[in-house]
Amino acid sequence: MGIAENACFHCGEPISAGTALYVQRDGQQRAVCCAGCQAVAELIFRSGLGRYYQFRQELGRKAEAGLAHAIAAWEGCDARESLWGAELADGRRELLLQTEGIRCAACAWLIRSHLEKLPGVQSTQVDTATGYTRIIWQPKETRLSRLAAGLMELGYKPHLPLAGAEEQGRQEERRESMKRVGVAGLGMMQVMMYAVGLYAGDAFGIAVAERSFLAWVSLAVTLPVLLYSGRVFFEGAWRSLRARRPGMDVPVALAIALAFLASCYHFFRGDGEVWFDSVVMFIFFLSLGRHMEMMLRHRNLQAGAALARLLPEWAERIRGERRETVPAGDLESGDRVVVRAGESFPADGHICAGATEVDEALLTGESRAVARVAGDLVIAGTINLSQPVEVEVTACGQDTAVSSMGRLLLRAQATRPATHSLPAWLVPAFIVSVLLIAAATWLGWQYVDPSRAFSAMLAVLVVSCPCALSLALPVVHAAASRRLLDEGILLTRGDALHALNEVDTVVFDKTGTLTLGEPVLTGHPSADALAHAAMLARASRHPFSRAIARAAGSGPVASTIIEHPGEGVSGVVDGREARLGSAAYVGAAGQGGSELWFAFAGDAPVAFHFEDALRPEAKETIARLRKMGLSVELLSGDSSERVAIAAAAAGIDAWRAAATPVSKAQRLSELEKAGRKVLMVGDGLNDAAALAGAHASLAPGGAVDVSRLASDCVYSGDSLKSVALIIEVARAARRRMRENFAFAALYNLIAVPVAVVGWATPMVAAAAMSLSSAIVTLNALRLSIMKLEDGAS
Amino acid sequence: MTVLVWMMAAALLLAGVALGAFIWSLRTGQYDDPAGSAARILDDQPPLP
Repeated sequence: MGIAENACFHCGEPISAGTALYVQRDGQQRAVCCAGCQAVAELIFRSGLGRYYQFRQELGRKAEAGLAHAIAAWEGCDARESLWGAELADGRRELLLQTEGIRCAACAWLIRSHLEKLPGVQSTQVDTATGYTRIIWQPKETRLSRLAAGLMELGYKPHLPLAGAEEQGRQEERRESMKRVGVAGLGMMQVMMYAVGLYAGDAFGIAVAERSFLAWVSLAVTLPVLLYSGRVFFEGAWRSLRARRPGMDVPVALAIALAFLASCYHFFRGDGEVWFDSVVMFIFFLSLGRHMEMMLRHRNLQAGAALARLLPEWAERIRGERRETVPAGDLESGDRVVVRAGESFPADGHICAGATEVDEALLTGESRAVARVAGDLVIAGTINLSQPVEVEVTACGQDTAVSSMGRLLLRAQATRPATHSLPAWLVPAFIVSVLLIAAATWLGWQYVDPSRAFSAMLAVLVVSCPCALSLALPVVHAAASRRLLDEGILLTRGDALHALNEVDTVVFDKTGTLTLGEPVLTGHPSADALAHAAMLARASRHPFSRAIARAAGSGPVASTIIEHPGEGVSGVVDGREARLGSAAYVGAAGQGGSELWFAFAGDAPVAFHFEDALRPEAKETIARLRKMGLSVELLSGDSSERVAIAAAAAGIDAWRAAATPVSKAQRLSELEKAGRKVLMVGDGLNDAAALAGAHASLAPGGAVDVSRLASDCVYSGDSLKSVALIIEVARAARRRMRENFAFAALYNLIAVPVAVVGWATPMVAAAAMSLSSAIVTLNALRLSIMKLEDGAS
Repeated sequence: MTVLVWMMAAALLLAGVALGAFIWSLRTGQYDDPAGSAARILDDQPPLP
């Protein structure tokens, strides 16, 4: 991982001037940005884990200050057995900790190596995809807080194991499902092998004893597969029948049961015509499908977990004179809590002492400071920017505004219009018709030539074994996902491709998606003024101040700095009193808009202008989407003049400003009602509900977790070009799917009648079936060598 | 026929071994983190003591 010059060796953030912190490594000095990162890097080297820096693919997480404080909070929970994890034999516990900051395999290695050296820790596993750390430990030998401290020392942030039990259950479910697929797969290989013998016997002759022996073994292998892997389908069918709502499982269970029972009947009657091979293969492919579906479902459940994570887990409660750090879940309404600058509010409440500025980007998507004074309402999850305040809690946990937003998201996901991918209804319909045709064939041949009835029926079943048809779309899907992955785009929902190529309208969020998402300094009076203003700006967290600090680079900070919430900062610059802030605060005649004023006491104030700059490739991407026949719309929570400017610059005619999360979702359902298929592209939490409710959705990899998980696909990197690219691939995939589907249908239309009239022996039928499967697969692979139009064209 | 019986027995035995190995690998959590496992091979130094 390349690190820019003047960036922290551990976390890659810029190092402000005047910081002289280093870590020693191989006789070289590496600069780090803060004492926290220094401690982490030193610990890593001291423990002999320096290889982490070679293998990591992502930069480390910036260490947070106040480690001792965080450890003390965990120590308060040491005695709570409910947090220790599931009990194993001889008192050991299996603890699942959701851990923030795990970014790549090197992190997993680092955590494993570090934790496993602690006394009382038996084994550690890290799942990089979900961010869970699984620790098997002995509570007699160590404490919970020691494990948490082990993670925190490395700069990761463990969360209280409150939802651990659910994830544990899900993991068990995943393993069970995988076992079913494995059993069915192995069984399928065996039975297929015997089937080859049986087919060869049909073609070249086989002794009766050997034939029945092969059939016997097939039955012996099929039965456990049917009972173990196939059980879920029978259970599902039974449940849905009992609920009087026959679902997908009913025809499936019927097909399996009929094929198996008929095989057994023929086998025991002695004419030996069996198709156990079809039974196991069918079970295998269906189990595999179920497994994929479950993986996607589990991923979606994590969206809820990510949302819960937006709320801080710890709160500093005031009880009389005492201040104590308690889990935020323990708060009750009426409690008073202290929230420091830079922390987020643990619960909804009113400010009862102090005044500050709050970043409510969580709710509005626009990162700007809003002044809040005593008596004002603050929302859990929003960030306190400038001054410590005391808050009286009015709502916590499930009752907070953020939690209700989570429910909005879940509802949107639940009511998402079902995008029927073809195989979902087609395969059972196809199977049932095949079974009917097979039965009809058998009946028909009874009148013509009863001795050939079985052979003809078997040929029908084999030739139409739903391979080509059931492969036709999944192989294209697999090839397209693979191709998109090569281009840095990850599909997170199974039906995303299907939804994507139906899209005729693209709706963009503005801030962070179409624009860079942070204000950029566009105009300043002079280099001198910039240098002076920067000395004040470096001390403030205000987005505009940060933009000035970025533009000025590193440098000194003013002394005796005071932040005035909602107004600005004052301090002593070069020995003179100076102010940086709003026009009113500095004493200037402001023109409104995105500006900040700076003045020395007594001097005339000067203005700094900001703009949330458009991404460089935005205009080109929009033009390209237009050329592809899509209409484009802009939906933003920002003020109308700013949205108008951005829309004009990007070349978008249709735009709406001042949209809330709810009105965004509403606008999308309006568009859906008008018959449009919408692709939503957004990154903020305020887009999450819209993303989940849209026909298809796309989020950049840098988006907040919730939005990433709510969307159908995630593109890595920051390039908007991915939006056009993904639609191009989806459309190509649709063409391949149509070709494959047409081919498979044609094949069945020709092959089934041929088998019905008895022209195909089972052997020929098997060969034809394999060939047809190979053809659809090869056609799908064309996607991986497809040339994509370059963004320039 | 005898050949066939022996061959079947061998095939079933091998399949049983494969199944056992699969279930063992599943139980020991070897499929829980595919991404991490895939990258571990790049780490060519011996495990830490």
